[in-house]
Amino acid sequence: MTSVKVCCMQYVIAEGRLLGGRIGGHAVGAGRKCAAMTAAPASVTIDLLIKSDGGGILLSIRRQATTAMFALTASSLLIAGCGTAKPAAQAAQKPVTIGTSLSLSGDFSGDGKSIEAGYKLWVDQVNKHGGLLGRKVKLVVLNDDSSTQQSLTNYSTLIGTDHVDLVFGPFSSPLTIPAEQIAKRYGYLLPDPAGGAPSVFAENYDGYAYAKPASVPHNLLGLGNLLMSLPASERPKTVAYATSNDPFTEPQLPPLRKELEAAGMRTLYYQVFPDETPDLQPEALAIAQTHADAVVLGTTSVPQVQAFVQAFAQQHYNPKVIVATSGPDQGSAFSSALGVANTEGFLVPIAWTPTANSYQNKQFIQAYIAKYGGTAASIPADAPDAYCVGQLVQELVTKTHSLKNADLIKALHANTFQTVEGPMSFQMDGAPAGTHMFLVQWQNGSTKIVWPKDSQQASLEYPKPAWH
Amino acid sequence: MKRPSTWLIAAVALLAALVYPFVFSSTEATTIGFFALLYVGLAASWNINGYTGYISLGHSAFFGIGAYTIALFATRLGLQGGYGLFAVALLGGLVAGVAALPLGFIALRVRTMHSFVIITIAYVMMLQLLAYNLESITNGPNGLGVPQPAWSGAFFNIPFYFAALVLAVGTVLLSAWIRGSRFGLGLMAIRDDEDKAAGVGVDTWKYKLTAYVISAIPIGIGGAVYAYFASYIYPQTVFDPTIDLGIVLSVFLGGTGTILGPIVGALIIQPAQQLLTLYTGNLGTAGWDLLLLGALFLVVILLMPSGIVPSLVERARRTSVREAVTKADETTPGAQTAVGGNGTS
Amino acid sequence: MSLVLGSVVLGILSGGIYALMAVGLTLSFGVLEVVNIAQGMFVIAAAYLSYALQRYWHIDPLLGLVITIPVMFLLGLVVEWSFIRRLKQDRVMLSILVSWAVALILEGVVGLIFADDFRSIHSWYVTATVPVFGLYVPDIYLIGFALAVVLMGLVYLLVYRSRFGAALRAMVQNREAAALLGIDVQRISTLTFAIATGLTAAGGMLFGAIQAFNADSNLDLISRLLIIVILGGMGSMGGALVASVGLLVAVNIIAVTWTPNWSTFFFFGITILVLVFRPQGFFGAPAARKV
Repeated sequence: MTSVKVCCMQYVIAEGRLLGGRIGGHAVGAGRKCAAMTAAPASVTIDLLIKSDGGGILLSIRRQATTAMFALTASSLLIAGCGTAKPAAQAAQKPVTIGTSLSLSGDFSGDGKSIEAGYKLWVDQVNKHGGLLGRKVKLVVLNDDSSTQQSLTNYSTLIGTDHVDLVFGPFSSPLTIPAEQIAKRYGYLLPDPAGGAPSVFAENYDGYAYAKPASVPHNLLGLGNLLMSLPASERPKTVAYATSNDPFTEPQLPPLRKELEAAGMRTLYYQVFPDETPDLQPEALAIAQTHADAVVLGTTSVPQVQAFVQAFAQQHYNPKVIVATSGPDQGSAFSSALGVANTEGFLVPIAWTPTANSYQNKQFIQAYIAKYGGTAASIPADAPDAYCVGQLVQELVTKTHSLKNADLIKALHANTFQTVEGPMSFQMDGAPAGTHMFLVQWQNGSTKIVWPKDSQQASLEYPKPAWH
Repeated sequence: MKRPSTWLIAAVALLAALVYPFVFSSTEATTIGFFALLYVGLAASWNINGYTGYISLGHSAFFGIGAYTIALFATRLGLQGGYGLFAVALLGGLVAGVAALPLGFIALRVRTMHSFVIITIAYVMMLQLLAYNLESITNGPNGLGVPQPAWSGAFFNIPFYFAALVLAVGTVLLSAWIRGSRFGLGLMAIRDDEDKAAGVGVDTWKYKLTAYVISAIPIGIGGAVYAYFASYIYPQTVFDPTIDLGIVLSVFLGGTGTILGPIVGALIIQPAQQLLTLYTGNLGTAGWDLLLLGALFLVVILLMPSGIVPSLVERARRTSVREAVTKADETTPGAQTAVGGNGTS
Repeated sequence: MSLVLGSVVLGILSGGIYALMAVGLTLSFGVLEVVNIAQGMFVIAAAYLSYALQRYWHIDPLLGLVITIPVMFLLGLVVEWSFIRRLKQDRVMLSILVSWAVALILEGVVGLIFADDFRSIHSWYVTATVPVFGLYVPDIYLIGFALAVVLMGLVYLLVYRSRFGAALRAMVQNREAAALLGIDVQRISTLTFAIATGLTAAGGMLFGAIQAFNADSNLDLISRLLIIVILGGMGSMGGALVASVGLLVAVNIIAVTWTPNWSTFFFFGITILVLVFRPQGFFGAPAARKV
């Protein structure tokens, strides 16, 4: 897990000495400083090498201390200079390094950490089965603190400096396109677990792949079909929509609205709220006052759904149908936030469910529980999303028998891939070619597929029972 | 900036900056170098308004305006990526300057410091919301792209690095020139005592507004260069209060009102922040980076309350005064204070 | 109609809660000339404290105030003693920097303990409601408003009806003269800052009960609190209450009658408008800039 960083530290020392020699000619002072500085990480390097597996907390503390010293003592020139590591002569048995930058802190850290869990799980699995082309896989995860500036530095470092073999996509939405640009410049394949906004595909990079069975605007369309399958007299007649202005959420609602209006369901409320809105009470009040039969929430997180539900319950407003774009897909995080009773009847579009009969899904769930604990129902949706990215790459490598990004990109558009989220194929701009999404409903504390008909596990519970 | 030693230091620093991307040519080093120089430009630019003592926490408004200018201009006119777009970045500065006129006109009516600060914060938030809500112009939450040049990955950072360097050097020179001019003296008189400044004939209103508008221009250019570098912008990534924090902390850490302060501050904070996140955050224990950053600031602020540069200058002055005392009976401290500037006010 | 009325009621009630969170900020500015950027983080830390007490020791959040208020009071003592009193010159500007650094450290610590997941404080009175004008008002808002009024009343009594308050007010008028009169300026400063921090215990508990929070929430919160305090007039408690209620009512009305997408825009717009015509805020003493 930490091996590339370990290598990096080694290079730091090597490079530091080099610098000391090189610069020494005309700027003795600077050279000496760098050499002195790099003496400190030396002990850490050894530590890291000895304990390179599962060193845990001790490691982290050591490394932080080192970094603090870097930051405090060195000028930017020296630090950055010490980072100019060129990989040493590569032995054939060198592991395949895969780099990624994820939001492990900041606004998107909830999802970022789940993605990390999914990536790591895939790495475990692939290594257990012999790795990629017989080589072990090492994953390097850098933190971008949910910041675009940091993400630019991270992908530049991974691709341009560390020359990792492959990269995986970031989580936080605004970071996708900058990462895509860097990948494009170097001709890297960028398989991405999240980032299906129309603008991402508008970049038209054939090395990009949004590793989902369907693109974002299709997410909610199952709901229209599902509601139309109800007897005409029982169908909801009025709908209220509220969505966050998040670029990956907002595009999901207009297609659904169009479909439902065409089917005669009137729109009583349609509002966009800023994603950062701290207090959703007024929006929830306004929706409750419309007494609409159906509610469509373009939410981005569990707390947003919770805020709406709490207010609806308090206002004694019980819609017959309620669907949210994100939140109810987060497994036990969702049910513990709302209380199991209040999850009953909640709908959410989802690419993956624990009960789906998809490729390697059973192994995935078993391995996930073995590694992280919990139950199948507690697996957050981000984890299988991330796992798919690994599966996609694995199949590409196996098919092409190559680790060259150019070969993988060529094969990306010529094949269909099997993943825990079902079969996937890609258009030239990276958008998924399929439209397959599940619509699941929370019933008795777990999610059941209610749409499409051919995978149905339970019939729609309609109307949704009252809040508790 | 009069003594030869100052010029020597400046020449060495410039030379170091010029050779940096060739000595440290990794993309990691050049990316961090780009951000460090960009923030030198932003901080030096902010400091021009800072001479008056009015603390703006909303100059990222101009950063965002510059960024949106280049994105809108390039996409609407169908421009291609390449060196030419750096010229369009200048336009970003111009638009930011024009926008600063009414914004400054309103904000500077207020002479209560806290209220001024709040108004400038409100500017950023309001512009961010406009960028979100005026979808037909700004593409709303979906953001805007800037056409990218077809440079190779290894070369890509180099032009951006030098663009940031030109911006940094240009802005520092502008700021130094203003500080030494009659105009600059007026600004600092306003900082010391606005009423007294008006009393001795400084047209304070005109001075303040001019400084505010000038300081918006390089930041606007910086925003445009950033947008070009990042390739894509969203309302929350360019109208971003954390950019203001980055700028203001650089200036305070280095020393307000001085020429060197913002440079030193930005060169420390930007790389420190990026490297801390890069090397501490990947353990799933986010928090250490914040802790270390906070502790670093506390130490610096408590040890050097007027900023690194003034504190060091002060220390140097004291030793030189002590030497002078031993040499002669009389001391002449007055001449030195001009170099450090601020001190207390 | 009931919708507008309801949102006005909610605006008034949550305005009270925000004023309670902001009162420490205005107090420490008035007495210590300190702009405490860490106030938002203190509120969040207090919210975590209430959350942890309830989660791990099953102590009711309201009852838990008996523990959290002294804990936050102590935190205030420590912060004042370690950092704030060391600022001799340029207090306003330096206090911004120092308290920002304190907030960063505290955010880091909280992040290490609780990670970034959103939490919220549950209790029966968070979900229970009372019907008002055809809408249902959650009990927690009523309790919060009442708590805010009581606590702010106590602070008012302390400032205007006690020996401590008399010394404090003398200090606000003229620090040097007060010191010459034998008032222990340092002790009063320390206690004021600690009281201001202690009050965030109640504010934090309410904040955590009315919305989900994580350590990151502090930046958004502090900008709102600063706006409330400055709009009300730095140092004025009544002003903070008026400003906070006024702003939240206005924003709520815009959100329900027009669109939530523009309501935040007007939050800031109204702030600018007021400050341009009344730079000292509603109840601040008109004064020229001093820094």
